[in-house]
Amino acid sequence: MPDLSLFYGLLAQLLPFDCLQARFMQQALAGLFLLAPMTASMGILVVNFRMSFFADAISHSAFAGVALGLLLTLDPGWTMPLFGVLVGLGIMLMQRRSSLSSDTVIGVFFSAMVAFGLAIVSRDRSLARDLQRFLYGDILTISDGQIIALMGLFVILMAFLACCYNRLLYIGLNPTLARAHRVRVAALQYLFAGLLALIVMFAVQAVGVLLVTALLIVPAAAARNLARSAGAMFWWTMVISISSAMVGLLLSAQDWARTATGATIILVACAWFALSMAAAIRRRQRLI
Amino acid sequence: MAATDPLPLYRPLESAVRFDTVTVEQGGISILDRVSATVPKGSCTAIIGPNGAGKTTLLLALLGEINYQGRIVLGAGDQPPRIGYLPQRLAFDRGMPLTVDEFLVMGFQKKPLWFGLNAALRRKARESLALVKADHLADRAIGALSGGELQRVLLALALGQEPELLVLDEPSAGVDFQGELIFCEQLDELRRQRGFTQLMVSHDLAVVTHHATHVICLNRKVAAEGEPRQTLTAENLTAIFGMHMGLVNSRSMPGDQAVCSAPCCQERPDA
Repeated sequence: MPDLSLFYGLLAQLLPFDCLQARFMQQALAGLFLLAPMTASMGILVVNFRMSFFADAISHSAFAGVALGLLLTLDPGWTMPLFGVLVGLGIMLMQRRSSLSSDTVIGVFFSAMVAFGLAIVSRDRSLARDLQRFLYGDILTISDGQIIALMGLFVILMAFLACCYNRLLYIGLNPTLARAHRVRVAALQYLFAGLLALIVMFAVQAVGVLLVTALLIVPAAAARNLARSAGAMFWWTMVISISSAMVGLLLSAQDWARTATGATIILVACAWFALSMAAAIRRRQRLI
Repeated sequence: MAATDPLPLYRPLESAVRFDTVTVEQGGISILDRVSATVPKGSCTAIIGPNGAGKTTLLLALLGEINYQGRIVLGAGDQPPRIGYLPQRLAFDRGMPLTVDEFLVMGFQKKPLWFGLNAALRRKARESLALVKADHLADRAIGALSGGELQRVLLALALGQEPELLVLDEPSAGVDFQGELIFCEQLDELRRQRGFTQLMVSHDLAVVTHHATHVICLNRKVAAEGEPRQTLTAENLTAIFGMHMGLVNSRSMPGDQAVCSAPCCQERPDA
């Protein structure tokens, strides 16, 4: 495994805080630096596709994925993302094929995943501790292996966005129009669902099942209030997401705070959202 | 294709679209029943019919959005024609930050919008906007456009595809009357300049009689098809609309206007 000390050292130099001298903090920082831009950029598309419930369902399948790994004596580190991708593609398939409304389809998947996870956990009491870890997440225990996996995913996602971002936005605007104008809607929707599922699964480890959707949605929602063009919205989302992750991590490490990192990050992002709402209301008043 | 024609004496018009016994059923209800019709190449073909006649459904089948039985043959060669599509009313999220410029460029530009717009594509977008007399809208957010402005921008988008087949669903929906007339005249002029085929759905008979060169009367089935003057007879109209539509003078102008500047009118000796 390649040595990441140099990477961590660089991060620690960029942000010279006392609390960042510990290695686990440097790892957490590196993990967030990779994760925040990914959740931010996918979050914009999730907001435009109105797919936040979809992301929620995927995150709730995390525990079923882990349980499945333990049941089949496979490494949960592999079964969890794999299971998430399968669930994501399954929901997409059902949505496209059935006449049920999409929130009904997702609702059915959602309950199936949660029930399956709980059923397995209820057989084995020792698993219940793991359940808590997934509910709240813990970026501070991220391993070198996970960071390298995140780096790989980062490269794949950025390549995907570089070639397909505009067309995804087009589909989000109106799929019929996009399709009539020669955008390959189905293929892109499946690719998007698969990648989103992977990112959600990694984000679950950082902020927990309960807060994953917030990590995706809140920065993009705040950026919508501030931006007038699609280009500006992207950069606003990036700024809000990365700054929330950094500030959240530093705040949670302070002696007076000692809060859960994931929750603190989301709180900072929500503060951004409140500010953006105020800005949007002021702008509207000036227009009137 | 013409070489294998079994009847060499009878040469039908070259078709841009041929519907061959197209049947659509949804939830056990028949929406289109064995629709066979032809859209001649280079024509302005109008599909008319009452509400619920399946006009929009036929267009969606053409665009591949819904499942159907039967065949829809597009163009003559192996390559399907480039389509420009103008929906009746674009259902979209009006809160989405997106400028008109970005909207017109995003289907063509690979580079993500956040790295800025390609100068050549932006120029092309502005040209399309100028074609529909909407240059002043370029920097506006598309969520803030009025119904008529949005229709113009959508038409600019459809024309920007450099279509061989322009598909319009109620092109004048949401456009005020004066705007509607200009809209149709501009389209007529462009069709003549560029030589594309125009297929539109309309329930406005005045617009149809004025601009269409070919009419398909639809009421779940094809009731009649052909040149407007031969097709829009009192009997046919009564048959599909179920009332005495024949009283409408099929040569009247929209809103009883006296003059029309569309090139089609100048060419018709009796208009």
